[in-house]
Amino acid sequence: MSSAATAFEEILWAEKYRPRSLKDMVNQEEIVSRLMKFVKERNMPHLLFAGPPGTGKTTAALALSYDLYGDEWRKYVLELNASDERGISVIRTKVKEFARSKLPGHIPFKIVLLDEADNMTADAQQALRRLMEMYAENTRFILIANYPSKIIEPIQSRCAVFRFTPLRKEDVIARLKWICSQENCEYEEDALEVIYEISGGDMRRAINILQAAAALGKVTVSSVYKVVGLAHPREVREIIRLALMGKFIEAREKLRNLMVNYGLSGTDILKQMHREIFSADLPLPEELRVLIADYIGEVQFRVVEGADDEIQLSALLARLALLGKRYNLKL
Amino acid sequence: MAAEERRVPWVIKYRPKRIADVVNQDDAKSKFVSWLKSWPNVRKRAALLYGPPGCGKTSLVEAAANELGYDVLEMNASDFRRASDIERIAMRAARASTLFGRKRGRIILLDEVDGISGREDAGGLEALLRLIRVAENPVVMTANDPWNPNLRPLRDVSELIEFKRLSKRDVIKVLKRICTAEKIECENDALNFIAERAEGDLRGAINDLEALAEGFGRVTLEHARALLRPRDREHNPFETLRNIFMAKYGWQAKMALSQSQLDYEQAKLWIHENLPHQYSDPEDLWRAYEALSKADVYLGRIVRSGDWDLLAYAIDLMTAGVAMAAQNNPRDKYRWTKYNFPQKLLLMARTRKARAIRDDLASIVASHLHISTAVAKNEVIPLLKTIFTANPKYAARLVLGLSLSEKMVEYLAGPNKSLVMRYVEELKRLKEEQAKVSRAAAATAAEGAKEVGAAAASGAKVREGVDRSAKKRRQRRGGDLLSYLSKK
Repeated sequence: MSSAATAFEEILWAEKYRPRSLKDMVNQEEIVSRLMKFVKERNMPHLLFAGPPGTGKTTAALALSYDLYGDEWRKYVLELNASDERGISVIRTKVKEFARSKLPGHIPFKIVLLDEADNMTADAQQALRRLMEMYAENTRFILIANYPSKIIEPIQSRCAVFRFTPLRKEDVIARLKWICSQENCEYEEDALEVIYEISGGDMRRAINILQAAAALGKVTVSSVYKVVGLAHPREVREIIRLALMGKFIEAREKLRNLMVNYGLSGTDILKQMHREIFSADLPLPEELRVLIADYIGEVQFRVVEGADDEIQLSALLARLALLGKRYNLKL
Repeated sequence: MAAEERRVPWVIKYRPKRIADVVNQDDAKSKFVSWLKSWPNVRKRAALLYGPPGCGKTSLVEAAANELGYDVLEMNASDFRRASDIERIAMRAARASTLFGRKRGRIILLDEVDGISGREDAGGLEALLRLIRVAENPVVMTANDPWNPNLRPLRDVSELIEFKRLSKRDVIKVLKRICTAEKIECENDALNFIAERAEGDLRGAINDLEALAEGFGRVTLEHARALLRPRDREHNPFETLRNIFMAKYGWQAKMALSQSQLDYEQAKLWIHENLPHQYSDPEDLWRAYEALSKADVYLGRIVRSGDWDLLAYAIDLMTAGVAMAAQNNPRDKYRWTKYNFPQKLLLMARTRKARAIRDDLASIVASHLHISTAVAKNEVIPLLKTIFTANPKYAARLVLGLSLSEKMVEYLAGPNKSLVMRYVEELKRLKEEQAKVSRAAAATAAEGAKEVGAAAASGAKVREGVDRSAKKRRQRRGGDLLSYLSKK
């Protein structure tokens, strides 16, 4: 990429190339056409967008807002992320504040956009349901969730539910190619395939990886691997390996570093460990993979119940050290 | 009653007045006295006296001060938590001595500096180091465990003076002298018992003796056994750990915690830190961690439910559960182990600033991409780190586009920071120039604008994007203008 020749400023491509209007969206055609109808009628029910990460849920919600309100859409949309708001009381206060201001005549309603709503406890969701009713007159809620089953029944029944399907491989790759052409960056076809595989169909993640790989030069298979390898998976795998080899203290040291310096939570690391356990890069007896997965599940439960992530994950490492010895592993 | 009130505790009453009165520790005495006498012409400006509790560290400082004519300004490191406290108190002391032209010097004595590092406060240590650098008085510190990694910066600037654990004989000798002076009748077996229990801690032994004499008027073995069984001294973390690990019965392990200076939260971290150092067998270690992990689950439930009845189970598991875990290698329980301070607390303290910067960065990225800060930390920041280390030029443009602070650049780029910042400055300068040019262009009106437009249209770098935001248009114009300018 010849950065000196282009501009002074750059932003993240996942945002730069986010479709702004519903008519720019190329996937989820069914959903998009229904949303366009809402814009045309200038009326809509509460909405629940459900589906895997990076399939266009947030993009659709933002595009809907843009099409409803135009350039000043930010005035009429309250964006909240359930994982970052501290509890339902904070959400309640913000929604109350937001809903109170008067609506100009040409605006049919305001929108509360609540992302990661499935991270809320059932109790918090009950409170949310009351909020949705209380301010239904001049606000609409768009809830976004990965797992619709984690949204309580009474909320689901008050929303029009939209299920976002995983993006097709050719769609993701076509989008990546298009971005490459916009950015004048060279790429290998295979590299884009690898990006798709690594991102698991998550468009946002795919674009993030593409941008990082492009920053290294031509996007090649090895530059893609380099980019994602520099992130966590390798370190997580190393922790597992050290523990299985009985090097408990070293494994714990690395774990600590990951938690404190990268700010990963215990749950984040457990999920990544779980991913690694079944990876071909860790040559383990198959039944051992199952045993470890079972115990990771148990520890994740304890992390949620307990008080100290590091202690819980250390207990997992101690378990791995024991299993490694029993299976007499050489890694 | 009045006489009672005036009574001073024996540990103070019989404190050594002269250096020779300090029991044993001949090496420490000569080393310390010669250091003190030659101050400030010394290699190390501070002295760190270390050794087990009650072996005479503080006593020697006071006796030496008394004999050589110094005042002692004593501070307990656990008294101040913030750097500002150290500075305020100690700086004033250091200055005061010269301000009033005093003849006598002053020793700044900081007791128990190992307490400083146990706190979540790196600032305290820094302030202490500064104090040592600028103080116009000798700074003397005491510590139980000088090899604690966090004291390394202090070790580097201090004369290290070791105090040995006092022998039982040393302790008995002092106890006898006090009994004679106080005209207390006492059995030799009783003194033996007290000294045995004290494990070289003379201060503890004198306190025990006083308690017995006060209660019974004389000191017998029978009384000593009856009164002294449940130890009334609070155990420091090292003793607590030793007692938990060595416990043969569950109740001993539980008692070890109840007699500790540590509360259960701290004890949890201390045990966690030192478990793998004590237990070598993987199965034993796993058993111990199972117990600790479940104790932690109970503690979590207490916080959430407010049900404090659960605390009893948490404590059972983290004490007895841990102590009973050594089944394959029971001898590990008695193995001598050098215990460490909980590294987690230290790491958290050391990285507090970096974490705050990372959190700010995560919220910028999160609101930019409409994601949660957790996703930002997990998915995006690692990639940004890659970009910032691999391509500083490109990184500089991201710095401007995302309005990142210099600290954030440092967090992302590491040693590449100055390089990235140089490019940022360069871009800012170019941007400023462009602004000037476009102002001039605006002044010459339509003609100039046409020219720029033509240049833009001919440029190969002109691209069409779906995103037609004003910002992007500005960017693109900037780029074309740049190439336009460079052609000239």
